[in-house]
Amino acid sequence: MASRLAALTLQMDKLYEFDRVPVSEDKLQPGGKFAGLFAGEHVAATEFVIGAFFVLHGVGARDLLLGLFFGNLLAVLSWTFICAPIAVRTRLTLYWYLRKIAGPGVTFIYNIANAFLYCILAGAMISVSATAIGLAFGIKVPALDAVLPNSVGWVVLTFAIGTAFTTLAVLGFEKLSRFAEVCSPWIFVVFIAGAVAMLPRLGVHPNLDNLWDVAKTKIWNGVAVAGQEKLGFAQVLFFAWFCNLAMHVGLSDMALFRYAKKWTYGLFTAFGVYPGHLLAWICSGVMVAAIGREMDPGRMAFEAAGLAGTFGLLLAGWTTANPTLYRAGLALQTVTPNWPRWKITLVAGAATTVLSCFPVFFLKLLDYVAIYGLVLMPIGAVVFAEHWIFPLLRIEQYMAEKRGWTFNWSALIVWLGTLVICFSLPLHLYFRWLPGWFIAIASYTALRASRKMEGVR
Amino acid sequence: MKTWILAVPALLSLAMCLVSPALFFAGKISERSYRLAFLLTSIAWFVFAILWAAAARRNKE
Repeated sequence: MASRLAALTLQMDKLYEFDRVPVSEDKLQPGGKFAGLFAGEHVAATEFVIGAFFVLHGVGARDLLLGLFFGNLLAVLSWTFICAPIAVRTRLTLYWYLRKIAGPGVTFIYNIANAFLYCILAGAMISVSATAIGLAFGIKVPALDAVLPNSVGWVVLTFAIGTAFTTLAVLGFEKLSRFAEVCSPWIFVVFIAGAVAMLPRLGVHPNLDNLWDVAKTKIWNGVAVAGQEKLGFAQVLFFAWFCNLAMHVGLSDMALFRYAKKWTYGLFTAFGVYPGHLLAWICSGVMVAAIGREMDPGRMAFEAAGLAGTFGLLLAGWTTANPTLYRAGLALQTVTPNWPRWKITLVAGAATTVLSCFPVFFLKLLDYVAIYGLVLMPIGAVVFAEHWIFPLLRIEQYMAEKRGWTFNWSALIVWLGTLVICFSLPLHLYFRWLPGWFIAIASYTALRASRKMEGVR
Repeated sequence: MKTWILAVPALLSLAMCLVSPALFFAGKISERSYRLAFLLTSIAWFVFAILWAAAARRNKE
């Protein structure tokens, strides 16, 4: 067992070898690069679903606008004050920093959890893309409460699209990934164009004098559709805040910010989240209202922008599922020593394709996004405590690295314990991560402080 | 090669993608015309943007 773990650790380290050393001064990037990078992110196929779900969940117009504005602001501040400062000080990826703090064993478990969560996310993107193609073949989108596939056609369709996406990811054509780069601004335009074109159908006058009335009464009218939970300002605010929780509070984006000259570059994330998680969600809300509040992204895109809209939805799914599959493959590669990249991407793609057949992942996307962030959040809290609080309390840092521990049991116990507490808190799912983050920080600090006094692990 | 020669039509195509729904919303063109215009300007964006990206890469190399 020990030798197997050692072999896995060695393999895992080899995979991430290229970013083992802190980023050097000459590799640092200017702020403009970060603005461009973030502007190209955060517009995915899932945006078609998330914005539409706010309408179906009966969010009011004022609640939506204020919730999204302040929620995204909190997300930007989390990147700026939590993620970027640690990245700039260490110049390391989360992988290597976590390895110093929690040991290769915990890092390995984190990788596997991350890979599994990535596969589900990519599966949801495939499902969303399937609704675009399904429209042409008359395949009905599963009902809102569906867990299992509703027809053989849906299974065949998701399998076909999953296979196509996986094949492209396995082949890893460089030219295709370059093509994906030019898609991003256009996909954003599809959202805007689709929403503008749907406004006449909702009765908005060309001079826009009744736009706010229509928004309040016909789009975000505060009435949830049958079977959907009613959401309000607080839920929208928290959703916008936590929808990238793994990246900011969870510290995954240390991988990007280690190249930042200053920690204030975290503010550049506003270039991504405000177009993607405010404008695009508003646009998809307009589109779903215009098609009669039916969760069918394929129909939304087609009716809003015709064939280009359908193509846009498919491309949005592919351009986001493709890197997600790649990341899942990279994380999974740690458990399959000596497997070539194509083979592990194939495995990740096959798992993702199977998951995409189950409509529950895209029909419960809001809850899944909450769970995804929640599961990875305690690791960010552990790193935060070790980085900022330990020096203040004179608790020795990086014990796993210094003593050569495979597992920092305190980190693992805090991770799992926090999740148990979070899932049992009598709060709405969307709010649980915040007390969880403080619980994780406090308990990890207390645990390490008590171990320090005992002088043991 | 000067990349702006390709950047200008690419960005113009993207801007035109936004003009067609605006014209439809204003009642100046039909829905059918809007969809066709949006499709054609989208194709134009992809053609010019891909060429622009390729030229920029060649210049960098």
